[in-house]
Amino acid sequence: MRQYLGNKKAILFFLLPAMLIYTVIIIYPVLQTVYRSFYNWDGLSEATFNGLGNFRDLFTDPLLKTSLKNGGIFALVLVVFQIGLGTILALVCADVKVKGRKLLKTAYFIPVVLSVTVVCQLWIAIYDPTNGLINRLLQMLGIPYQQHWLTSPTKSIIAIAFVNAWQFMGYQFALLYAGVKSIPEQYMEAATIDGCSKWKAHWKVTLPLMKETYKFCFTIAITGGISAFTQMLIMTNGGPGTSNYTMTFMVYRYAFLESNYGYACAVAVVLVIISLIATVVINKVFDRNEAV
Amino acid sequence: MKSTWNKTWAGVLALTLVASLTACGGGSSSNKPTNTGTSGGSEAGANEKVKLKVYAQHFDDDTAKPFDYAVEELKKEMPNVEIELDPAVQDGFQKLKTYAATGNLPDIYYTDWNTLQTFSKSQNVQVLDDYDTTKEYKANLNPGVESRMVAPDGHVYAFPDTGVEFELLYYNKKIFQEAGISVPIKTIDELAEAAQKLKAKGYVPLSIFAKEKWITTAFYNAFLTREDGIGTGVFEKGDPKETPQSAVTAAEQVKKLQQAGLLDVNATNTNYDQASSMFYTGKSAMLINGQWEIYSAQEKMGDNVDFMYWPAKDEQTYENMKFQMNGSGGPQGYAVSSKSKNIDVAVKVAAFIAKKSAEYKFTVLGNPIVAPKIDKPVTATDIPAMMKRLTTDVLPNAKGYAVAVSKLSISTAIDDNTQNLLVDGFSVDDFVKNMNRALSK
Repeated sequence: MRQYLGNKKAILFFLLPAMLIYTVIIIYPVLQTVYRSFYNWDGLSEATFNGLGNFRDLFTDPLLKTSLKNGGIFALVLVVFQIGLGTILALVCADVKVKGRKLLKTAYFIPVVLSVTVVCQLWIAIYDPTNGLINRLLQMLGIPYQQHWLTSPTKSIIAIAFVNAWQFMGYQFALLYAGVKSIPEQYMEAATIDGCSKWKAHWKVTLPLMKETYKFCFTIAITGGISAFTQMLIMTNGGPGTSNYTMTFMVYRYAFLESNYGYACAVAVVLVIISLIATVVINKVFDRNEAV
Repeated sequence: MKSTWNKTWAGVLALTLVASLTACGGGSSSNKPTNTGTSGGSEAGANEKVKLKVYAQHFDDDTAKPFDYAVEELKKEMPNVEIELDPAVQDGFQKLKTYAATGNLPDIYYTDWNTLQTFSKSQNVQVLDDYDTTKEYKANLNPGVESRMVAPDGHVYAFPDTGVEFELLYYNKKIFQEAGISVPIKTIDELAEAAQKLKAKGYVPLSIFAKEKWITTAFYNAFLTREDGIGTGVFEKGDPKETPQSAVTAAEQVKKLQQAGLLDVNATNTNYDQASSMFYTGKSAMLINGQWEIYSAQEKMGDNVDFMYWPAKDEQTYENMKFQMNGSGGPQGYAVSSKSKNIDVAVKVAAFIAKKSAEYKFTVLGNPIVAPKIDKPVTATDIPAMMKRLTTDVLPNAKGYAVAVSKLSISTAIDDNTQNLLVDGFSVDDFVKNMNRALSK
């Protein structure tokens, strides 16, 4: 083994294909995006250098404010629903006394394997203001809270985020369940012998030991929320107007609808930076808790 | 050893970055063809076999049959030309743009003004101004459709087959009778009143597939063209920095109608299938769509459907403006790639296909909305009554058409904000504020 690890040329030789592929599909596009963000470019013509002009325009673009707000709401809904509820379900399914655990685990994961388009169409029908399941149910129960779920400029983003949260909750659940199962049972037994109730033992023992899992779950939930796109495109096409825009939707609009690729690249660069900052902050927060 | 190792890695990384940045530096600055004039590329001899790739709409009977007819006719007229069809996809011309970006444009392609603008700047489209074929085609256009061929910048980039299409207000005669609404509805107030009567009877007054933003612009443009004949063209005429008064008035009218309950509560989340289904199944009393809907409407509803002219603020304006068509004819049609090896032949073939497609639509389908004049008789026997009405009542009296918006940032702002007008909580002031922002850019 030592002899093998000492052969740096061999390591380099075997790593080179992966490095090249990574360069072509990740590094090169990212560099291109950063490079093009400093230009006025329609995707076909010769680009003209614009310095920081695209970024200056972006920071005064009202769509950025809308997109950031929507990204924040989306991320919050994902965190609360996917991680919050995912944790509870993971703890329940990890309990050997719960009957039907296998069935529950499968049921929670089923939406993940469905097509996003199918799920969106399903929820479009559920959200229909006249004949949709939710409004009909509220009507039947005599609750006067019927809403225009997908046509309201303020509520529709929450309704759409919920669809994403519902569909991919099973994925977060699988990660959290694996995290719970990786904790040795002796810890829980020791806590129980010390007089802890089951839920208190989870609070004091299980959850703190799942820090690394949570770090990953929070990262994918928050960055996924900030960069959400597909559900908005399918369910409301970003509307009414631009009320459901996120930063990825901005990229789509400026690149493919307005042929303003330079500006779209600037939006993409800011999106990447915000996602990186979110990732760093999440890591710092979890690392600080560890220090305490 | 460690130092050598680090240097090797640093070298590899540096090379990778240099390679990436070098690739970044490359681009479309090179390879600038001349895309004007009357010849280009290496031309084939008169009888030499020429193969041309054509990117054309060919996804249903309406698009495939006229094209196939044109190709059959071409075989008789130019037997040395072989057409290879590349069926267009309905993707906002993204596939075509990808072809252009990768240098693979077909010899002839069907596209719209938005794409032509980009292709003109990037020299991917042949400017057709000086070709004899162009002069002949232009001289043979139907009245009022010049804007389909001559771009706002004064150049010709494509040969149009269709004329200027426009949006109509279709209505269900029986439902109108049942609700006691007399036609034509001439004013906005009458339309609002009709909406309330229809709602009281349990109908959705007007179904609109407002999930697609172009139809919300068309709906808004219908009222704007009553105020100013050029419609949304007012947003570019004279390069205004603020929303023109006519556009504000039209926004107020749309808002008034929305508040009167003219539209379904789910309008901005309704697609074409849902909206048309509501109309055809008698759940809604009116439908807005282009004149191309006539065939489906007549087929599904028979004599129970007709269209009316768009109402205006008062009867006098209605009478003055009812023949101002709610449709803007931006340039579109068959364009020729400036990279084609057989440009001269391609120009002739593009014009021929455009003309013959129009001929099929006019003679076989009885559709009068075609760009070139057709000197052949109509052979269709089952022309819908509404289409006949277009031919006899509307087109001969058409006073003019709206003007297409060229600037993409303004047209997308119009799309966004006209859709917004259809929902509660978005005011006319919001509309004006957003449009002013777009105009001041």
